[in-house]
Amino acid sequence: MQSTTRWTVTAIIFAALATAIVLTLGDMRLASSQTVTLVAKQADAEVPLDDPFDGVWKGAGPIEAPLSGQLVIQPKGGGDRTVTARALHDNDRLYVLLEWQDDTEDLLVSSQTEFTDAVAVQFPVSEGESVPSFCMGDPTAPVNVWQWKGAWQNDIDEGYVGIDDAYPNALVDTYPFEDEDVFYPARSAGNIFAQTDRTTPVDNLLAGSFGTLTQADDQIVDGSGEWRDGSWRVLFARDLDSGEGYSRFSVNESTNVAFAVWDGAKNERNGIKSVSQFLTLTLSDEIADSGGGIEVWQIALIAIGVAALTGALAFRGWQRSKQQ
Amino acid sequence: MAKVYNWQLGREMDYRLEEAHPDRQFAAVFNINRCIACQTCTMACKSTWTFSRGQEYMWWNNVESKPYGGYPHHWDVKLLEMLEKANPGGQKWDSSQRGDRSPYGTYNGQTIFEAAAATGDENAIGYLPTEEEWTGPNLYEDTPKGPAGVPGVYHTDGAQLPEHNTWFFYLQRICNHCTYPGCVSACPRNAIYKRPEDGIVLIDQERCRGYRKCVEQCPYKKAMYRPTTRVSEKCVGCYPRVEGSDPLTNGVPMETRCVATCVGKIRLQGLVKIENGDWAEDRFNPLYYLIRQERVALPLYPQFGTEPNIYYIPPRWVPRPYLRQMFGPGVDDAIERYTNPSRELLAVLQLFRTTQTIIFRYEIEDGELVSETEINGRTWQMYNDTIIGFDRDDNEVVRVSVDEGIIERGQQYQNSI
Repeated sequence: MQSTTRWTVTAIIFAALATAIVLTLGDMRLASSQTVTLVAKQADAEVPLDDPFDGVWKGAGPIEAPLSGQLVIQPKGGGDRTVTARALHDNDRLYVLLEWQDDTEDLLVSSQTEFTDAVAVQFPVSEGESVPSFCMGDPTAPVNVWQWKGAWQNDIDEGYVGIDDAYPNALVDTYPFEDEDVFYPARSAGNIFAQTDRTTPVDNLLAGSFGTLTQADDQIVDGSGEWRDGSWRVLFARDLDSGEGYSRFSVNESTNVAFAVWDGAKNERNGIKSVSQFLTLTLSDEIADSGGGIEVWQIALIAIGVAALTGALAFRGWQRSKQQ
Repeated sequence: MAKVYNWQLGREMDYRLEEAHPDRQFAAVFNINRCIACQTCTMACKSTWTFSRGQEYMWWNNVESKPYGGYPHHWDVKLLEMLEKANPGGQKWDSSQRGDRSPYGTYNGQTIFEAAAATGDENAIGYLPTEEEWTGPNLYEDTPKGPAGVPGVYHTDGAQLPEHNTWFFYLQRICNHCTYPGCVSACPRNAIYKRPEDGIVLIDQERCRGYRKCVEQCPYKKAMYRPTTRVSEKCVGCYPRVEGSDPLTNGVPMETRCVATCVGKIRLQGLVKIENGDWAEDRFNPLYYLIRQERVALPLYPQFGTEPNIYYIPPRWVPRPYLRQMFGPGVDDAIERYTNPSRELLAVLQLFRTTQTIIFRYEIEDGELVSETEINGRTWQMYNDTIIGFDRDDNEVVRVSVDEGIIERGQQYQNSI
């Protein structure tokens, strides 16, 4: 190889590496990729359902999923966000941990204009040749959605927030037939929104296209969420196999997963949300190592080192070719 | 967006869903001229449907004093302003050509659906009322309009017909059970539906997820969020009565609670027949007669585009520009016909609040001339005709004459209470 060609190749490699570093450090996004894989390794310790900040999650390699506004159907909204996703399993259950930035903790739905923070994960119900539309699935290829809401978490942590909590000074003489559910029709109809005795902050839902999202018969997804220092961390947990009609997961198999985030402070709800496309979720039999592992900053440091070394070599090559 | 025909606008308009119609449509006529704002309708509704926790602020029926009152506050002024912003100066009617399918001419402005097309982010323009706007349901009760820009002063010659200088009137409001409901189009979950048998619009309490898009995009603000069940509720059109399944009805359709309890006899409610996407000609259905034949009762803010199904006989003392904005260009004819009623109209007006049973058909038996007078320079004669109302099964349910007669209480009953 001639020295000028060698110099050109080296310079291209240098430029590519420099670009990668800039993109990584600047948190800049390229087009969202279908090839990003979220790997759920086997947890090396018990995964506690009530603590999304537990140390066991250090063993789960995070991926950054880019989200963008939902602009396909009215009502449109949401915007660019990034969700950090992690996953683990223990051969019985799948655990998904999502983390995203949100400046405010919006937990109430008690007044006319309050909306709650929320996050959801979506899986195809059945694995097939083709992946369902990430927009709530297709009529022939439904999706299973697990949605966590801050308001439901608050109900569990602090107790059901009722009208007396929202308006402590309101005075009402009497409420006739107070104990009869029929006067609370949503409760009477079995709508999980109207529950006063929640056991999980996560709703289990099914959909087969826009406008068809429906609560499933079985509310079988556990989880918990905690807001800390301007970020939410929300944990979802469900049995790998919950029977016919819901997404199933197996070790050494892959499926697809998508994420959505709502910011209550911005009146986001329903289609007004930030969504990812489908990514790949693989359940690996590898044991996660929560004792250590390489952190993102370490990767960045190594990349900078490599780039600097390559740059130095390229500069030296250029000087040599100049001397010749 | 689909193209649907809105006869109140006399043209096709954009709507999220394909055109579809029920077999019959819930409809009512409210005669504003007769209302005394006793709020008996309001309390009848409240004590039937919204007395539980989380429904405190819900007034599915309310009576507000116009021009200042409104529940939630200024709901209509806000909507009109939004329409105006979307299409400045464009909310105009062309009433030069009127027909059976365009009785008020053609509306050339934008509806709430069309005004949303500019951004395309929403199905309709709208807003979510604040907590404060849902307080004081009868704020500005009986507050009249005086000279513009001079607070606290009223005209000393305020009450001269045809238009009073100092005026207010009562506007009675329930859900309009619209033909093209803003709430139905707004719901991203398709949790709101229009019943095929009677056109009553209901929120599925199992499907609703409390997003409040219906609250935002119902221009009449008759969908309301209930914080105790975390979902929205709305006027149910007293459907067990209307469908005749309430034990009280004996199996035949019965008027809603707010209609049946009306002290001022201002309300008449029923079901009109729908064929080929429009009201089927049903000449002797009192609602068809009042709304489509005589055109004495008009829709509320037809320009919103939802084809509302509560119709109002406009108050005859109120300045016409205000009424035209509120009820469209049919106002002048409606007031003229109400002020000089035909023999048939006078007879049909007697049916209001004479029976709880929904009247599907009427007949009139001619009576004697009982009085003659002059109205606006024209001779007007009153005949003591008798009108007979029939229920769904064509059984007679009411018989009433124009001249009610005078009954003097006998001496023996004086001060007997």
